[in-house]
Amino acid sequence: MNKRLIYILLPLLIFAACRSDKQKDVDFSKEFEVPDSVIYDGELEISEQAMDDIVQNISSPVEIAALIKSIGVPFSKDYLATTDFVDDYNTSFKKAIGLGIFGADLGYQNMYNKTGGVIDYISAIKTLADGIRVGQFFDFTTLKRLVTNNQNLDSLMYISVQNFNQMDRYLRENNRSNLSSLIVTGVWIESIYLLGEVIKEAPNAELSEKIGEQKIILSNLMLLLKNYERDPSIKKLIDDLSEIQEIYRDVTITYERGEPESIEQDGMLIIIQNDKQYIEISNETLFKIIDKTAKVRNNIIQL
Amino acid sequence: MRNIYIIFALFAIILLGNSNKLSAQSGQELVDICGMIAGDATYLKDFPIKLDAAKTGEEPPTARYSVVLSKNTEYLFSICNSKDYPGEAIFHLYDNNRLITTNYIIATGKYYPKVSFKCSSTGVYHIFITFKEGEQGLAVTLLSFVKRL
Repeated sequence: MNKRLIYILLPLLIFAACRSDKQKDVDFSKEFEVPDSVIYDGELEISEQAMDDIVQNISSPVEIAALIKSIGVPFSKDYLATTDFVDDYNTSFKKAIGLGIFGADLGYQNMYNKTGGVIDYISAIKTLADGIRVGQFFDFTTLKRLVTNNQNLDSLMYISVQNFNQMDRYLRENNRSNLSSLIVTGVWIESIYLLGEVIKEAPNAELSEKIGEQKIILSNLMLLLKNYERDPSIKKLIDDLSEIQEIYRDVTITYERGEPESIEQDGMLIIIQNDKQYIEISNETLFKIIDKTAKVRNNIIQL
Repeated sequence: MRNIYIIFALFAIILLGNSNKLSAQSGQELVDICGMIAGDATYLKDFPIKLDAAKTGEEPPTARYSVVLSKNTEYLFSICNSKDYPGEAIFHLYDNNRLITTNYIIATGKYYPKVSFKCSSTGVYHIFITFKEGEQGLAVTLLSFVKRL
């Protein structure tokens, strides 16, 4: 009787002891070797903590794409960056900034539920992400399945945005904030490019204002990039963006303070800010910004 | 007979130990739960926070994040607390120098797991998160895009 019980319990005991802990946090840094060329070991002008304060949500492909869609402008694949030259993106700089550009284009396509060309973009993103050793955070298989089956497109947006956040967090936590900053910059450049292309075809005050308010965003982006200006590629990018920033000097932003209101509705707190922000941008300035941004962007994607 | 008791005890300890680990919530699970709470709003960012309990006589530990929010946009902040820790996350949203809102109103004792923010000025906003009464906690604050206003 005793022996029989031992025979039953012992395998169970071994099975329980050997079970993998699914909740265990995986430290990818130990699983993937990162070449020195993609680790930034230069001296930072500001602390990592201060940089974290600046970087979050600087440019969001979701919000720009939602704005474009909300004014009733139809989708155009002509605005998208070509993925044809992805294999020529042969430096960490180009891979990271390209990731941001294609990420913004993916967000634009997802917002319009246009899955026709998405496979090319998720493939390009996977290639570039692998190139800077963050491909493990991009769930290519799931995204491809969702696109192929043309189903659950909300999940497509959710997973792709989350994957980009995971890459961003991993890079910042592993002394590779230079690449994270470049991804953010790529998203920003492509978002302005998309806005500019739409404005050229369908002028719209709200979109023009959106370009104007990027004066605030660009100054934060520049602060971020200036940490890495010792890198010649980033220095060149800073110089290009400085020219755009110079054009932005003609954009005026003024504020009027208001008292926030709060309302409780269905167990949720709703806050209405009530500040007023006025953005003045002339047509001349608008098109100078659009043209200069397009030049910078086209140079990156080798057009 | 004594061997059976020992084996039973070992079996129970190891199995219970493992089952506790398996039921522990990870940050990713909290993000997914928060995503469900956010409903139709589109996920933008998540801010995972794990803080130790406050030490006696000291201020409760605080996590800080800064985000860019855009005018004429409605955002949703969803706050999800791990069931494995006692702390309930309190979120404060500031603009440059002014408190805009919090999800915990001390005067009424009301705690809101969801806060909608109708933003009227593009800029950098600061999120501060602590745990109620300085308890140890694990939580996720999710920022989602609701709509253009």
